Amino acid sequence: MVEKRVGDTNTDRGPVPLTMLLPGERAKIVALGAGSGRQRHFRTMGLKEGKIVVIIATQPARGPLVIDVEGTLIAIGRGMARQILIQKI
Amino acid sequence: MKKITLMGCPNVGKSVVFSRLTGVNVISSNYPGTTVDFIKGTTFIGGEKFELIDVPGTYSLEPTSKAEAVAQTMLHEGDIVITVVDATHLERNLYLTLEILETKKPAVIALNMWDETRHLGIDIDVTKLERVLGVPIVPTCAICGTGIKELSSAVGDAQQSKTLKQMSEEERWLKVGEIIRDVQVVHHRHHTIWERFADTTVRPTTGIPLAILVILLMFLFIIEVGNVIIDYLMDPLFYTYYGPWIVGAVNSFVPSGLLHDLLVGTSTIESLDFEQSLGLLTTGFYIPFGIVLPFVITFYFMLSILEDIGYLPRLAVLVDTGLHKLGLHGSAIVPTILGCGCNVPGALATRILETEKQRFIAMTLMAISIPCMAQSAMIFAILGRYGMKWILIVYSTLLVLYILLGLLLKRIVKGESPELLLEVPPYRKPDPRTLLKKTWSKAYGFLAEAVPFVIVGIFIVNLLSVSGMIDILARIFSPILTTVLGLPEGAIAALLLGILRKDIAIGMLLPLGMTPQQLTISCIILTTYFPCIATFVVLFRELGSLALLKAAGLMAVVSLSVGIIMRVILIGI
Ligand SMILES: Nc1nc2c(ncn2[C@@H]2O[C@H](COP(=O)(O)OP(=O)(O)OP(=O)(O)O)[C@@H](O)[C@H]2O)c(=O)[nH]1
Ligand SMILES: [Mg+2]
Repeated sequence: MVEKRVGDTNTDRGPVPLTMLLPGERAKIVALGAGSGRQRHFRTMGLKEGKIVVIIATQPARGPLVIDVEGTLIAIGRGMARQILIQKI
Repeated sequence: MKKITLMGCPNVGKSVVFSRLTGVNVISSNYPGTTVDFIKGTTFIGGEKFELIDVPGTYSLEPTSKAEAVAQTMLHEGDIVITVVDATHLERNLYLTLEILETKKPAVIALNMWDETRHLGIDIDVTKLERVLGVPIVPTCAICGTGIKELSSAVGDAQQSKTLKQMSEEERWLKVGEIIRDVQVVHHRHHTIWERFADTTVRPTTGIPLAILVILLMFLFIIEVGNVIIDYLMDPLFYTYYGPWIVGAVNSFVPSGLLHDLLVGTSTIESLDFEQSLGLLTTGFYIPFGIVLPFVITFYFMLSILEDIGYLPRLAVLVDTGLHKLGLHGSAIVPTILGCGCNVPGALATRILETEKQRFIAMTLMAISIPCMAQSAMIFAILGRYGMKWILIVYSTLLVLYILLGLLLKRIVKGESPELLLEVPPYRKPDPRTLLKKTWSKAYGFLAEAVPFVIVGIFIVNLLSVSGMIDILARIFSPILTTVLGLPEGAIAALLLGILRKDIAIGMLLPLGMTPQQLTISCIILTTYFPCIATFVVLFRELGSLALLKAAGLMAVVSLSVGIIMRVILIGI
């Protein structure tokens, strides 16, 4: 699979991984692609289907993203962020 | 005695509630994962004595780290549960709350951080929530104390939830959504300017320079303020008041002989020597109180500010990429910084890391290249006399070692190094009283630990030198020490004591009349060759004997190699 980096533009309206979002852009979480344990962990931290996320910062060299999920800041590694599917709004 | 456990998600204020209810101050900080082990205390409720247990935070009853596993086991220990819920994140907290209530333990809910809900535009219908969950709910503000009395009396009404049945995970999430729609209204609000500014501290372009500045300033502040306290407070106290008095007192009871030397060493009223006289009442008190305490206080004061503001999780984000190269992730910065104070809580704090690989690497790196503040204090005091340059040589060597060993361990240690997934709490204004209390309790903890060990250490030194053992040992180890490392053979005493405690061990270097180069090499070796006994015991408990054996082997090899390299660089062949 070709990995796309944060910052790659995307015009597609379908669900895309969270890593496709640019800093400042808003999106809605539509699905979680991880295993069930990881999914639960995501949800208990507020990363749940239907939630609105905004990218606050991205760290260089494939570092983690800092996202705002309805008022909570969460730092998340890129591999995990790729498991969160979003739709831009 | 009935047991009450304090359960809840990380960073919701459980430890503050615990301190309020028991009157015992346990450490609380503004980052998830402050409490990594259970802590017991007692509280009186309605005239009855209860045992209250503070527990590490967990997001669900399926643990993802060792700290969370502790929480899971502790839930079953208690007869009653106080579930602490962060009212500003009700939805997230409800999942765990439901899981706990489904166990049918008698429960009460503290709806904490109630003070913060208003300016966040959050409205929660508490009566309705109480009806849905079927247990008493008390809105609280643990830091200001409101609602704590009510919480305490509500414990008497704690009951099993009759409204909730056992649910599957999916049903539980549906239930959470249903409850939230029913009881909570969130008014829309715009981000404040302050919040926008706060975001810049996690953006690399602004955040990284700031982080470097913060760490540099902290380092300089600790050294400078520590020295000011020593020069203007501790030294006058010791040299003008305590010294003449104690030496005079001892002289009048035991004017000379073995006991006299043991108590005050070579100090006389005319020439007080707190550093080198090696008496129990002179050096034995001066090292912990006169040198180390001032630095320990300034360190913990600065650390508490960073902790309570909520800067550490942001630092974790910024260093994450770098720490991944060492087989760790950003969260490992917390145990590392705690280790700079004392390796014991530092090693325990590695419980917030998810895998054994991360924990082994974090603990090994800490044991080898993170000097505790007691040791740093002695390095600042002793090497500082020859200039900042020597202090910097020691610390940069240790930093390079940390990185090189991390690169190596990442490759050779089996297991996984998962990615970072960390909640970054909002910045909070530290409360000055809490700050001072926390600084004091950590400084007190240091003294309670250090003074007995230093006294025992000095006693051992006296024993070794009176019995002549030290000369024998010196001769045995002389080939390594003098020929290989370029140190005087008397340094063996320091190395022996370093197993017990590092501060006194460095103090033992003073009477040897070393050059700054030799002192620098000795300080590096003393840091790396072995952890102090207290750390060793904790490492044994946390790692197990086999992993510890590997770590210890690494320490010996690394220490000797670094010693030789530094000898070649600083002294020549
Ligand atoms: N505004 C406000 N802050 C609070 C309240 N209670 C606790 N805090 C702050 O929240 C932070 C976390 O408190 P802790 O008691 O350490 O939280 P904890 O639940 O024990 O956290 P872990 O041990 O990490 O699970 C600290 O900075 C507290 O000062 C409250 O009622 N209102
Ligand atoms: Mg706690």
